[in-house]
Amino acid sequence: MAAPLSAEQSKQSTQALHEIELPASSAWPLVLAFGFALLFAGLLTSASVSVLGAVLALAGCVGWFREVLPHEHEEVVPVVPDDVPVTTERHVVERIPVAEELVRAWLPIKTYPVSAGIKGGLAGSVAMAVLACAYGLLKTGSIWYPIKLLAATVYARSFHVSPAELNSFHAVSFVLAVILHGIGSILVGLLYGAMLPMVPRHPILLGGLIAPVLWSGLLYSILGILNPLLAKHIDWFWFTASQVAFGIVAGMVVMRQSQVPTHENLPFALRAGIEAPGMVPPRGSGDKPS
Amino acid sequence: MSSDAMAIHAAEVGAGRPWVQTLHEWVTTVDHKRLGILYVLLALIFLIIGGIEAIVIRIQLMRPHNDFVSPQVFNRMFTMHGTTMIFFVIMPVMFGFANYLVPLMIGARDMAFPRLNAFGFWLTAFGGLLLYFSFVGGNGLYGAGNAPDVGWFAYAPLTSRAFSVGHSTDFWTIAVLVSGFGSIATAINIITTVLCLRCPGMTLSRMPLLAWMNLVMAALVILAVSPLTAAQIMLSIDRYLGGHFFDTQAGGSAALWMHFFWIFGHPEVYVLVIPAFAFASEIIPVFSRKPIFGYPAMVAATVCIGFISMAVWAHHMFTIGMNSMANTFFVLTTMIIAVPTGIKIFNWLGTMWGGRIQFKTAMLFCVGFLFQFLIAGLTGVMLGTAPFNWQLGNSYFVIAHFHYVIVGGIMFCLFGAFYYWFPKVTGRMLNETLGKLHFWLFFIGFHLTFDTMHIPGVLGMPRRIYTYEPGRGWDTWNLIIGIGAFIQGLAILIFVANLVFSYFRGSKAGNDPWDAWTLEWSVSSPPPSYNFASIPTVSSRRPLWDRKHPEDPDNRYE
Repeated sequence: MAAPLSAEQSKQSTQALHEIELPASSAWPLVLAFGFALLFAGLLTSASVSVLGAVLALAGCVGWFREVLPHEHEEVVPVVPDDVPVTTERHVVERIPVAEELVRAWLPIKTYPVSAGIKGGLAGSVAMAVLACAYGLLKTGSIWYPIKLLAATVYARSFHVSPAELNSFHAVSFVLAVILHGIGSILVGLLYGAMLPMVPRHPILLGGLIAPVLWSGLLYSILGILNPLLAKHIDWFWFTASQVAFGIVAGMVVMRQSQVPTHENLPFALRAGIEAPGMVPPRGSGDKPS
Repeated sequence: MSSDAMAIHAAEVGAGRPWVQTLHEWVTTVDHKRLGILYVLLALIFLIIGGIEAIVIRIQLMRPHNDFVSPQVFNRMFTMHGTTMIFFVIMPVMFGFANYLVPLMIGARDMAFPRLNAFGFWLTAFGGLLLYFSFVGGNGLYGAGNAPDVGWFAYAPLTSRAFSVGHSTDFWTIAVLVSGFGSIATAINIITTVLCLRCPGMTLSRMPLLAWMNLVMAALVILAVSPLTAAQIMLSIDRYLGGHFFDTQAGGSAALWMHFFWIFGHPEVYVLVIPAFAFASEIIPVFSRKPIFGYPAMVAATVCIGFISMAVWAHHMFTIGMNSMANTFFVLTTMIIAVPTGIKIFNWLGTMWGGRIQFKTAMLFCVGFLFQFLIAGLTGVMLGTAPFNWQLGNSYFVIAHFHYVIVGGIMFCLFGAFYYWFPKVTGRMLNETLGKLHFWLFFIGFHLTFDTMHIPGVLGMPRRIYTYEPGRGWDTWNLIIGIGAFIQGLAILIFVANLVFSYFRGSKAGNDPWDAWTLEWSVSSPPPSYNFASIPTVSSRRPLWDRKHPEDPDNRYE
């Protein structure tokens, strides 16, 4: 094995080297591989092929071991005196003006805290639930119908009931729907918290209208394939309206939160809250952290 | 390069010496660069062979009731095409690039185990030879030739002796087994090299993404190839020693083979695609003139993909009738793996966003990869949804999706890598005009073939079908698919011509033709056998940026 160079060795190597030792060429890996292949090929052809393979493999092993034990065979290669220039013609570096005091910065410089996403998601979930229940009341006279629809995405028995039971309370379906709705809303809220700072113009238009409509369109086009029974029971106007309601409310709540610096440039210890004075040099000083 | 240096270099590469001596040097080499080139050449030869097999398949399917080849030959063609392309084209070419580039990029003089490196290459080469020896030896040395015809994933009970007489299946088993040992040897070498031979200053957080991704790929090779090797041995025991592992009539399980194969097969997709990600991660920043966006996220996403890819295999098996818990689990893991993959796509786009993009051929291929891989990911999510899969499993939709990943994703990146690193390997530039012609022809051919291929799949055309009745709505689509395949073949010929032409007549490259930032561009092209006269010391992820811009080095900000 070629040993890793220590720092001292690398210092020495910066001085003029005339020769370098490299592992010597060897035919034994080829012999061993050929023997190995013949060993197996003989199983399908003739025992004599396997015997030849075994002999070659043994010879390969012995030859290989003798080359590396007790000392690895190496060959000395003369160093070619060659001064390879490492230069560029692009001396002017264009910078995107992100902040006057910073030469470079990880973007985004500020973002919403995680709590903003959770708050937005929960607020959006309430808006969506209100619309969905209103739809249930108007269509079937019961708020439990849309709740059972939601539960049916993972719990098919929510749907395998009589029409009367479809509009009545069912504990398992209710618990499942609340969990699904809550988790889904919080995750989408977090996504909004992470992505809306990247959309400096009209974030509510994207989060409140475009994204929900695209999502509804995608579901509309594939739900008939994924779950035709469920697709038959969905009113797509109300579905889209409740998605838009979620998007607008979640987006507005997220946007109302105050942003915090991302601290992308800080070392992990500082971001983790560990007291480590002196780790961060002032910007532009050129000093490396010790 | 000075005249002295040129003279010594010429002597080094063997100019003016008997060809036998040059051949001997190449055959006995343990140099990582030469072995890398040998891997790539081996893969290119098999690419031509596998490509011809693909063309035969497409000619056969271009019109209904065609009999260009017999059903038996057709079965051999699709089996050999799949096996060749996966095991003897893409894996070796990725190992070749890893071999060539990893030591150079981490500032090492060679791989950690140079002889093991040679052993791994030769095992792969002999594995490929064994596979193709089946054409003459498939029924035994004295019988008629017969190549494997059980499909590239060789499901039981088709591989049992009752349904697969002769030795064709055994040649498949042994060839994959032998090359698998070679793959494991190379993977061990890559892992050890990356972990132990980095130059001073190159911490893991400063390592080029290509090295990171090859590290993850190598770990996956060890985890994924081992079950396949075990399964191949079990299959041989079934066939010759009276075992019943996969014999359903004697208490065995055909599904067991599927589990063994796909616990290899799906991570294998990531074994192939992660190095392609690595190429994109090196090429896109250089031609966008910006550092990679979200380096830590890229590393984390790669490691995540490595872990999750070991838990998605049974999404290839939704149609066998697993229970709902298993279906749900594998649907969820398949959805989850789309997240780190999506992060990568965002980061590549983020790298390009606001950059001074140069549409050199290498970059064109990477941009093509970005959009095509996105589509491949979307159809992957569709197929990862159990109910959708029940309807389109084993149809041409699956073939279209898979080739979107392998060709639209991996091959595009691979071509990009050829255009990007060819100057380093040979000292000469690939011709840009021919390169752009290659790109556009391949792009058009690819989309004609594989966009179109989704449609007969949706219309119910099963994979591996020998021929079909007219009037099912498949005829025109198959004709278009065939035409696209020919265009791709033409593009590949242009690529090969470009390689040959540019090797002899290409313009001189210099050591750093792309104004790049990683260490391989700090040495001459081609690099000397020892790589670095003095081992470099680095202090950031872009060591050459630091040397080119001492007034504003990266290490102030990392």
